[in-house]
Amino acid sequence: MRKGFGFIAFGVVLLLTGSYLGLFVAPAERYMGDVQRIMYVHVPTAWNWMLSVLFSLVCAIAFLARNNMKWDARLEASLEVSTLLAFLLCCQGAIWAKPTWGVWWDWDPRLTTTAVLLFATIGILALRSAVEDPTKRAIWSSVATIIAAVDLPIVYYSVKWWNSLHQMQSTPQTVSSAFHAPLRINAFGVLFLMIGFIMLRTRIAAARLERELAGPPVRIGEEAGELA
Amino acid sequence: MTEGVISGGWEFVWAAYGITAAAFAIYGVTLVMRLRASRNHDH
Repeated sequence: MRKGFGFIAFGVVLLLTGSYLGLFVAPAERYMGDVQRIMYVHVPTAWNWMLSVLFSLVCAIAFLARNNMKWDARLEASLEVSTLLAFLLCCQGAIWAKPTWGVWWDWDPRLTTTAVLLFATIGILALRSAVEDPTKRAIWSSVATIIAAVDLPIVYYSVKWWNSLHQMQSTPQTVSSAFHAPLRINAFGVLFLMIGFIMLRTRIAAARLERELAGPPVRIGEEAGELA
Repeated sequence: MTEGVISGGWEFVWAAYGITAAAFAIYGVTLVMRLRASRNHDH
């Protein structure tokens, strides 16, 4: 568990450093001005959200292949963190969209496919909380995660496949070198934070699973009654 | 104001960073609370 807190602490230090550079040191972008500084939190959130969905997919496949409940605990953790990141991504995107596009939200392919995946992960978490049998819960949510993850490549390629209002993916070649440091530092910051969150959340899910699989505690009185 | 260039907008920047920090902090606190509850349940 200390490792989890260590990852979170390191992530926070990186995020504070990257955000300081992004807010006060990096130059304003030529056309978007200071509003472009939102990129230093929005893009790292997007990259790590995609990683968290990918990890959820790995957990779902690993559970179905190995039937090991450890993977189910990891799946629950990564789904919850992925939902948090997707929610943040939509909020940051809306805040960036208002001054640049003039609207908070647009049913653009990138935004729509991201929202679909957000609601899919919320749905899977709701399914998990509704099913009491740990085995059924693990199987159903693994299958649902695999189906939901089909949307991930659609999210990624949506800006290439369709005429999207959202800009194309940024690469080091398309972004000025003055913007690289805060972007990369914050990307690693969110990554470490995400890993720490998933580790701690896995612990909570694993402890609950252990209790569920052990069954209800037998009271001495009940035991005596059964024997009698 | 030059056409096609956005000026100002710091309130949007602070809002984006603020929401991000608040969401991470609140989620972190809920994790610690659930971890404690889980430990108490085990004991």
